[in-house]
Amino acid sequence: MSTLKTILGTTALSVLAGTSAQAAEIDMLINQSPWLNGFIAMVEEYEAQSDNTINLDVTPFGGMLEKTRNSVRGSDGRYDLIALNAAGMAEFYAGGFLEPLTNIDDGFALNENILTFGGSTGWDSEAGGFSEDGDLLGVPINGNVNVLYYRTDLYEDAGLDVPETWDALLSNAKALASDDVYGFVPRAARDSILYNFTPYIFSHGGSFFADPSAGDYNVTIASPEALAALETYIELANEAGPPNSGAVAQAELIQLMSTGRGAHAIAVVAAYPVLNDPNNSIVAGKIGTALIPAAEGHEHASAAGHWVAAVPRNVSDEAKSAALDFLDWFQAKEQQLYYVQSGGIPVRDDLADSAGDNPSFAFLPAFSGNAAVSHMNMPLPEGSQIKDAISLFLNQAVIGEITPTEALNQAADEMYRILTEAGYDIDEPSKL
Amino acid sequence: MSATTAQRRNRIWRYGSLLPAALLLIVLTIYPVFNLVGLSLSDVEWIDGRADTSFTGLDNFEQLFQHEPVYWAGVRNTIVFAVCAVTAQMIFGFAMALAARRASGFGRVALTTIFLMPIVIPPIVIGAMWRLLLGRDFGAVNTLLGYVGLGPVDFLGNPDVALASVIMVDIWHWTPFVFLLMLTGLESLDDEVFEAARFDVKTNWQELRYVTIPLMIPTILITAGLRIVLTFKVFDEVYLLTAGGPGTATEVINFSIYRTFFAQDRVGVGSAMSLLTLVAVAVLIVAVNLVIRARRKAKEIAE
Repeated sequence: MSTLKTILGTTALSVLAGTSAQAAEIDMLINQSPWLNGFIAMVEEYEAQSDNTINLDVTPFGGMLEKTRNSVRGSDGRYDLIALNAAGMAEFYAGGFLEPLTNIDDGFALNENILTFGGSTGWDSEAGGFSEDGDLLGVPINGNVNVLYYRTDLYEDAGLDVPETWDALLSNAKALASDDVYGFVPRAARDSILYNFTPYIFSHGGSFFADPSAGDYNVTIASPEALAALETYIELANEAGPPNSGAVAQAELIQLMSTGRGAHAIAVVAAYPVLNDPNNSIVAGKIGTALIPAAEGHEHASAAGHWVAAVPRNVSDEAKSAALDFLDWFQAKEQQLYYVQSGGIPVRDDLADSAGDNPSFAFLPAFSGNAAVSHMNMPLPEGSQIKDAISLFLNQAVIGEITPTEALNQAADEMYRILTEAGYDIDEPSKL
Repeated sequence: MSATTAQRRNRIWRYGSLLPAALLLIVLTIYPVFNLVGLSLSDVEWIDGRADTSFTGLDNFEQLFQHEPVYWAGVRNTIVFAVCAVTAQMIFGFAMALAARRASGFGRVALTTIFLMPIVIPPIVIGAMWRLLLGRDFGAVNTLLGYVGLGPVDFLGNPDVALASVIMVDIWHWTPFVFLLMLTGLESLDDEVFEAARFDVKTNWQELRYVTIPLMIPTILITAGLRIVLTFKVFDEVYLLTAGGPGTATEVINFSIYRTFFAQDRVGVGSAMSLLTLVAVAVLIVAVNLVIRARRKAKEIAE
């Protein structure tokens, strides 16, 4: 009898062991960020509902590129799932490092309500640009876009309306400016100015390139529309911002807003939980979000600063399948609502009606509005080099070292040089 | 054992004992430099997940000399940075070493401990600390200036003062290093020389001018050389305080290399920048060595 028990027990253990062997461990590279806790909550929820486990390698933003490159360029990848930021996405899409998700499971597709942030979930290798019709390479995991922040208490006291145009924003900013409060806090430090300039240029009818989604990378930055955008940017900074606008990066912007020193700012939606956390902000509960203004007669625009998760080619088929299983689970509406409640920034466009009175959800209408009009500013592999070049000229224009016209003309020259050296067949750009 | 066998064994031992050090030197120093030379003459592209390396001759150097104004702004700033920071560090470090040497007992221990404190603080903490101190709106320095009716000064955001602010932080950070070497140098001076000199020198200034400084020249030269070379490596303070801005006001060589090599993934141009900097620093080291040797030789001849 005891022998029989032993045999049965051993068999049962073997069956259990067999079951657990099918469960997979997914190694994921992800950045340290204000929304990380929300993502960790999602991972824990997924692990509770699945046999798979996810090991997160949390890395500061500055170290992400190198870790990602090291992993995807080797013969055996260290990570089964990698988080890619909008700024560096094109390099990995174009470099052929990622497995098209439909190669892992030909039935896989993005949910129709998933935001693609300018088609950044796919890559068209023939056109050499982002396209929803190209290979499906990434699933958005964080919908970080720029939104307009404003102080609701100051607005109520002054009886102001949320601005729809840049002129209205400037007027409101001037009206709310005082000795203790800057009317507007621009983010114009050299390393981050391009991201914040993006909504300005598109909402004035300008652009950086002619038509990237069709593979037309002719340089269009030196245009009257872009000049109007840059002049608006500088006017807001000079007339309503702090005197050191050219040195204000994201950390300073959040610091000024959370200490009540700023009446408006345009910043990533991921700052919302921080600005509304009473432990971090003296204006918690007094911060509203809205669609970023546009120039009179032009479309609204925002800047995509989102993250997607992608599966590298150089990992095992089992790991690829497990990673895709997580991404498929992640996109469901139910999970996305849980994500928002846990401090994450969602990636669906159908959550705004679920906001109700829950203060955690209050940013959703502004988020959805801005996400729908968000643009990728540098949708090409040479984006990092071009970004550094343009950012310097924009920053120099803000601090008064060169004029806006000089900044845009020099930016156009540099962009043209970089692109032609990289082999793009483009015309010499028009100048101001 | 014959004399020939002993000689052979000695030779084997001599070369054998050098072998580990030589191998380490080849693996850790010479190979990376050759690799850097190779990369600076190449272009790496990633196509379909694979590296496509092509020989491009001197194209990267042409690019560097013609189309990288930010790097050259960094060169200019680094030279200004090195001259100003090292000069101030040498003066302060030497003065502090003289003060510590003349102090006695507890005073000496206390001074040495206080003077050395900045050097043991991790660079990341120094960056965060000074960024908080020098901030325009919330910085403690501006708060103090406000109490006496001055400021606020935009230490890190004004292009006219940003580089000076970063230099000041570097002076604060690295003066203890100079102090330490100077103190060691002063401690090693022969007291008999000072006693003998008392017949000729009347004041402390004369003792400093005609006895201490001449005797300290080798230490001063080595310390200044070391500091100049180390100053060319400045990165963390700039990265944490200003990220090279505003404009190119605080751009330094290493920050340009970092941005080109890592952020932009332009390995060829980044390697060319690194190689050029490496050669410049090597020339500087050789120049300092030549000056020290020339002085030593002149002294030997005089004796």
